Order: sequence, then structure tokens, then C-alpha cells
Amino acid sequence: MTGAHRSLAQSAQLFIVRNLIWAILVVVFLAFSVTLPNFFTLENVHLILYVASALGMLVFAESLVLVSGNMDLSIAHIAGLSSMFVGALSIQWFHLPGWSAAILMIVVGAMLGSVNGFFVGWVRINPFLVTLSTFLMYNWLTYAINRGAILAVSPALVFLGGGKIFGIFSAIFVLILVCFLLGFILTRTPFGGYVHAIGGNPEASFMLGISLPWMNFWVFTIAGALAGLCGLLFVGYLDSIPSTIAGGDDIFLAFAGAIIGGISLKGGEGTMSGALGGVLLLGIIDTGTAMTLINPAVRGFLDGLILLLAILINKYRLELRDRILLPRGSAAQAAL
Amino acid sequence: MREEPRESSRGEGVRGGSARNDGAGALLSLEAIEKWYGEVHALRGVTLEVYPREIVGLIGDNGAGKSTLIKIISGVVPRSSGAIRWKGRKVRVGSVREARRLGIETVHQDRAVVGSMSVARNIFLGREPTRWMGPFRVLDRARMAQEAERLVKYLNLNISSVDQDVRFCSGGEMQGVAISRAMHFKASLVILDEPTTALAVSGVQTVLDFITRLKRDGIACLFVTHNLHDVYAVADRFIVMARGSVAAVVERKDCTVEDLARLQVTRKAGA
Repeated sequence: MTGAHRSLAQSAQLFIVRNLIWAILVVVFLAFSVTLPNFFTLENVHLILYVASALGMLVFAESLVLVSGNMDLSIAHIAGLSSMFVGALSIQWFHLPGWSAAILMIVVGAMLGSVNGFFVGWVRINPFLVTLSTFLMYNWLTYAINRGAILAVSPALVFLGGGKIFGIFSAIFVLILVCFLLGFILTRTPFGGYVHAIGGNPEASFMLGISLPWMNFWVFTIAGALAGLCGLLFVGYLDSIPSTIAGGDDIFLAFAGAIIGGISLKGGEGTMSGALGGVLLLGIIDTGTAMTLINPAVRGFLDGLILLLAILINKYRLELRDRILLPRGSAAQAAL
Repeated sequence: MREEPRESSRGEGVRGGSARNDGAGALLSLEAIEKWYGEVHALRGVTLEVYPREIVGLIGDNGAGKSTLIKIISGVVPRSSGAIRWKGRKVRVGSVREARRLGIETVHQDRAVVGSMSVARNIFLGREPTRWMGPFRVLDRARMAQEAERLVKYLNLNISSVDQDVRFCSGGEMQGVAISRAMHFKASLVILDEPTTALAVSGVQTVLDFITRLKRDGIACLFVTHNLHDVYAVADRFIVMARGSVAAVVERKDCTVEDLARLQVTRKAGA
């Protein structure tokens, strides 16, 4: 009765299917390393990780929201608004120490996210509509605060996004730490289980006594905090706070990274290590194509093409996984 | 009919069957429960009892108020008025958690499990055993797997591994997963909402076996269905609902399936 009886070959297949994003990542990385002379260097790997870390926060945030069965269009603008608001507050309006401004950015991000969480969780409005509204509001609020850029940013505020620890960009530590922490929460804690549960079957979760309003509230609030952290990293990248700090493609790349990493739009499925793989793959391809001097417009087009490919691969990946996982002779197998 | 079944009309207090019309010793008693959904009067003074270790069939046509009633008992929706007594004590039952704390477990038709989670996780969903890992409260996965395996064996579920996602289970096995929650958490009353309706014939028998096993373990069941044959096979007593109130209460020994069918139809017509 107990224990799945799977052959070694099946177990190996399952491992590859489950970690397909990392296999693809290695293949793409090797392909660039072979074709581009300067690609496979420690410095380049360092740079890829660095550039991926701010976007990584957005991908993690979006992944969390997607696993819970929601979506969030506003996270890129939460990053922009929280950094601009706290920047103006701490530099232009009052003179707050840099470290407190750094913490405040994350707090403000969480508060902006909690607005989404309130309307999705308690008022029960569709998350697409809620975050579409806040997307517009947060975007234009950023410009309302400041049309130009705040330049006199204190060193404490740029440390996390631009500083180094033992010669390694501190943002990379943030990327790995956050990935580990979120992965831990999702797989090891009751709360993380409920995020999966409300994404997989909200009705059953409700019937089992899980509070959908509170769960949605906290999921969007955590996503907001991660977006605030992303804003903080952007400030470090740029050493300034322009009103265009986050926006443009960022929200689409957040979705792309999550989906390439195997997070299901339907909710209830996905891992943080997959999301990390997704954002790193985007980073590798972006860096690789940048080094081939391809027209930037073509690179943008490539991002879209890769997303489409990822969707196709994931579709078959999940079917393949289910085929391996299916217990032999079960009713579900007969139906397949 | 061999004998005119005892009936209860609202508020009159003639409930239960033969020796049990005083409500004393009841596990659950509902007193004059009313429910309004806006202008709709869904429940009109429902009064009934469930005694320990008995299987009660709650029957009635669609729209009779069965599902509203069980939602109230399981804490999903609040009642408009009326009292609920649990083991003689007045209780509120304001939430699903509160109902579960009392020992009322509900198995909802085909929406009781999260397909993308494992059998073990589903059994414990919402009430996971935890342990401390440094400053964090984490899931005690070893205990969940161990307990889940014991339950799966006890219920004789055809599940190859408790780590398997529930979506790979058959309908009957899914109900088994939901029912094993009641066993593990030592519920005193299990409400089964149409547990056999979506199942194949073999699945129906599996679920009926689960129900008799619950009874053997001293757990009372409120079996809600409009499939009279399934419920007749296991229930001790039947409560027939029509148009938002209790139309009749019949002991199994006093009626046949045909009697039940007739009751269900005539009461609906208001005869």
C-alpha cells in the first residue's frame, strides 16, 4: 500500500521533468559559452546574477500571487512608487537616515500591496480588475510626486542594490536569500500550504476553514513587500531615483519569468526554485543576445518568443509528469 | 404504509422516532432554525435531532433546504434565528473552524479535496500538525505521512502512496480521504453532503462501507442525499424535508424505500 513503486528510469525521468527549467538553463548557457568567446567568465556570471536580482523580486512576487490563484499587474509600479515616495520623503521633504528609508521602502511596498489584498480578499473583486486599477494609480502617482529624478541618494540606500560583500554584489545575496525564504514558507509552513490550497481549490479550502480573505490579503501584501524590495534594488542599480524607475516591460517580464519557471496561471502549482530558474534564464538570454550585438528590438522580440516556447514546453512537461506519476491501474489512468 | 410515520410540524416538538421524542441525550439538536436569503425564506423553523452513533438520512427534493441546513450546521453560513444545541449545550457555530472544534466534520460533494496536493496534506489541510524548527513553526511532515498511512490502511483505500496527489484518486477514494479527516480528528458527527451522487457504482459501495465503519467507531452521520436507495442501505432514521421545513421523521424499521419516495413527493406537494 505504501510507497510509490517506480523504476529507477522513471524516477530519473521524473527528476528531469520536475527540474526541466534548470536543464534548459544549462543547455542555453553552454550554447552561449561555446558560440561567444567572452560569455563563460566568472565576471559575466556575476553580472547575470546581479541584473537578475531586482527582476527576481518581481518574479517571486508574481509567482507567489499566481500560486494562490490570483494575478497582480501592479507590482512593477509598486516598486516604482514605493522607491519614489520614500525617496522624496527621506531626501526632499524630510532628511531621514538612509537605512531607515531602505526599510521604509519595503514597508510602503507592503502597504501598497495590501490595498490590492484588501479589495481582492475582503471586497472580493476580481484580482485582474483590482490590480489594473492600482497599476494605473501607482504609475501616475509616481509621476505626480516627481517628474524628474532624485539624484542625491545616500550610500546606505544604494548599498543593497549597488554595494558588494566580499566582492560579490549584495543584491545576489538578496536574490538567493529571498528565494530560499519563500521556498521554505511555501513548502514547509501551514501558511505556504494554504497558498497552494486556495490556488488549487478555493472552495474546498474555504470549507476546510481556511480564511480566503486573510490569505489573499497576506499574499498580496507579501508580494507588495517584495516589490518594495525590488524598488530598493533598482535604486542601488541606478544610484538615483528617476520617475521611470520601474515600468515599461518589467511587469510583463515578471509574468514571463514566473511562467517560464513553471508556475501555472491556473493556481496551485509552482515552486520558487522554478521561478528562480525562470528569471535566470531570462537573464542569460538577455546577456547573451546583448553580447552578439543584435538589434535591441530583436532581443525584445526574442523574450516574447521564449515565453511562447516556455508555455508550450510546460504544457507537455506537465502531461509527461502526470503520466509518470499516475498510479498503475488506477481509474484516472484508465480515463487517460 | 404499514404504519403512519411520526411527523413533526414546525415548533410542535414531535421529533425523532419511537422512544426518542424528548430530545434528551441528543448529540445535536436544532430548534426552530430560520434562514432568509434576502427575500427568500429558505428554512422555516427547522427542528430536529441527531443522536450519538446513529446514521440519519436527510432527504428531500432539490430546493427543500437540505444544503442550506447543512451549511448552517457546518458553520459555512450563519442562521437568521433559532438555536443549535451540541450535547445539550447552546452553541454558536459561527465558522467552519468552530464547528470542527466541536467535532462536526463535513464532507462536501466533490469539492472536499485540493487535487494538486497530496493525500496526506489533504487529510490535515487546515489543521496540520506542526513542530518548531528554530524560531519557525513548520509542518510535521513525518507525522502527517505516518498518520495518513495508518488511516488509508484502516479505511482500506486503494491509494498507492500518501504522497500521491489527490487528483489521481478515483471519486470514491477522494470521499475516503475526506472521511478519514473525521476519523483522525475524532469527530462526533459527520455530515455527508451527497457523498455518492457523483460516483460510479463501485465507488458508491466503497463510500457506504466508510459510513458503516464510522458508525462502528461511534461516530454519528447525517447523510444528505436525494438518492433514496443509497441512504436506505445504511441509515437508521430519515428526516424528510420539504419547502424549507421538516415534513416527516421516520424510523427505518417503519418504512420501505417506496414509502420514503412517496413521502418525499407528497410532502413537496403539500399534502
